[in-house]
Amino acid sequence: MSKDSQPIIRVNSLTKSYGGFHALRGIDFEVQRGEVFGFLGPNGAGKTTAIRCMLDLIRPSSGSLLVAGHDPQRNPVAVRARCGYLPGELRFDENITVSAALNFFQQLRGATAACRRRAAVLSDRLELDTASRIKNLSKGNKQKIGIVSAFMHEPELLLLDEPTSGLDPLVQQTVMDLVAEVQHGGATVFFSSHVLSEVQAVAGRVAIIRDGSIVEVSDTSALSGRGKVEVRVRFACPVPPEKVQLAELSGVTLIAFEDDGRLLEFAVSENMDGLVKWLAAYPVATLETRQCGLEEVFHAHYPGKEKHVSAISPS
Amino acid sequence: MLLGLITTPFYDLVAENERQLRPVIQGLKPLVKSFIGGEQAEDLFTPQGFLALRYFAFLPVILGIFASVVGSGMLASDEERGILDFLLAHPAGRSSVFLGRLAATFLTMVAILLLAWFGLWLGVLRAESLNFPPGQILLPYISVLAVGTFFLTLSLALSMTMPSRVTAAMTAGFIVLAGEILTNLAKAIMELKLAARFSPLTYFQTNAMSGLEIKPLMGLLAFAIIWTVLAWLGFQRRDIRVAGDGGWKLPFLSRKNRIN
Repeated sequence: MSKDSQPIIRVNSLTKSYGGFHALRGIDFEVQRGEVFGFLGPNGAGKTTAIRCMLDLIRPSSGSLLVAGHDPQRNPVAVRARCGYLPGELRFDENITVSAALNFFQQLRGATAACRRRAAVLSDRLELDTASRIKNLSKGNKQKIGIVSAFMHEPELLLLDEPTSGLDPLVQQTVMDLVAEVQHGGATVFFSSHVLSEVQAVAGRVAIIRDGSIVEVSDTSALSGRGKVEVRVRFACPVPPEKVQLAELSGVTLIAFEDDGRLLEFAVSENMDGLVKWLAAYPVATLETRQCGLEEVFHAHYPGKEKHVSAISPS
Repeated sequence: MLLGLITTPFYDLVAENERQLRPVIQGLKPLVKSFIGGEQAEDLFTPQGFLALRYFAFLPVILGIFASVVGSGMLASDEERGILDFLLAHPAGRSSVFLGRLAATFLTMVAILLLAWFGLWLGVLRAESLNFPPGQILLPYISVLAVGTFFLTLSLALSMTMPSRVTAAMTAGFIVLAGEILTNLAKAIMELKLAARFSPLTYFQTNAMSGLEIKPLMGLLAFAIIWTVLAWLGFQRRDIRVAGDGGWKLPFLSRKNRIN
């Protein structure tokens, strides 16, 4: 197998414990070259721990890792040379200017002319004032320095840990565009986030991590397809509660019964045909549908924290 | 630098008033006398003794405290501020970062001592009764540097094993002060002589102007090498903490905070 056909990240039975606390409980996954891989999980699930193991910032308790063809523990410099990293919590020496910080990071990466040019282009694109002292910048602007630093050397692997944290929506969109562009250029992006919509927008595949364990790895489209469709129907006149008998409709659940039966919401997990035929018996004023997508799949892995997927009985 | 410029003019005053001051010193109780040179306290009236007792005796404590603070913060400070995490995500090996910073800190200490030496030399040039070549007054600084290096590397090694930079700095600082007190008291209390052998400050050569002994110098430097190796091994093997870690919490209490 040639090096290029190997996964760029291979994680086998990776565990990380701090005393009796298990941050990672034997996770396994692979990230293929050229894909955007979403890494979903709430705070404390182990996302950052996994990324820090990949960069040899922390040492796994057991298991193995291969990143860009290298074992991070044996050859951390080679791994880091191939990676761009944006940490979730970004800190700098606050007394220097943005340009001094970027120059320093460029020096660490060999200070090539291409790297300097790209840093300048990225700074312009993100509207980053390079003459300012870092201590005078907002959280979002500090995050921009991290983005420039992560992308400027055109790495083959980007490890982004909640990259849009603290950014305004316009800059968030710029970051998402950058992710799409680098993927188009052949780079791989490991995108850790708890913002489901942004992962859904860019990631081809997603791993969901919960309490240090991977609970699902799947194509984003397959996961989204598994999500229910919410149907919100407003009727011209009330539907009596006793008429709302959905037991015979397979895959349809009533999730809201409001306004004395004028407004009903359904979750449809299978075919829509049965519901449409049932609705035909009543005067429908408006009908809206919404694909629940990845969010619902994510919440399904966190029992007790679902938004509103359980059935509601009409009173 | 200022200390040298300020101290040297006082020798002329001390020499002029020797007849009045000598009986005062002779009359001091041994315990009090131990803190101003012990049996060598009356050397205060010689140019060399004056510099040894009124200038060089303070330097290892000053530099020891400085080295404890700087050594403990050399890596742990940036680690606790979250800067090291991002720095080490760049292609820089831990050994390179460790050795680079150690070299920079050591050279800073050398530069500080060279400035201090220059200040003292200017002071000696101005004082009428002091007449030493610059090379001769440089010798005690070599001994000060050895003590400083000892505490620099000790506090660095402590910072790699203790839960926070502050605890490491305070532990090393305590060793400096306790060592200074022990070394001085041992001049008056014979029973403390054995314990004083474990104080690094016992191996500081106050009278190095009359000749530098290599053995205590090498002893301090040998320990400095041991602390350096231990600190390097600790830095190689440890997890890099994220911002917010550290402080007074014991490691097992702060572990949950570092998970994300």
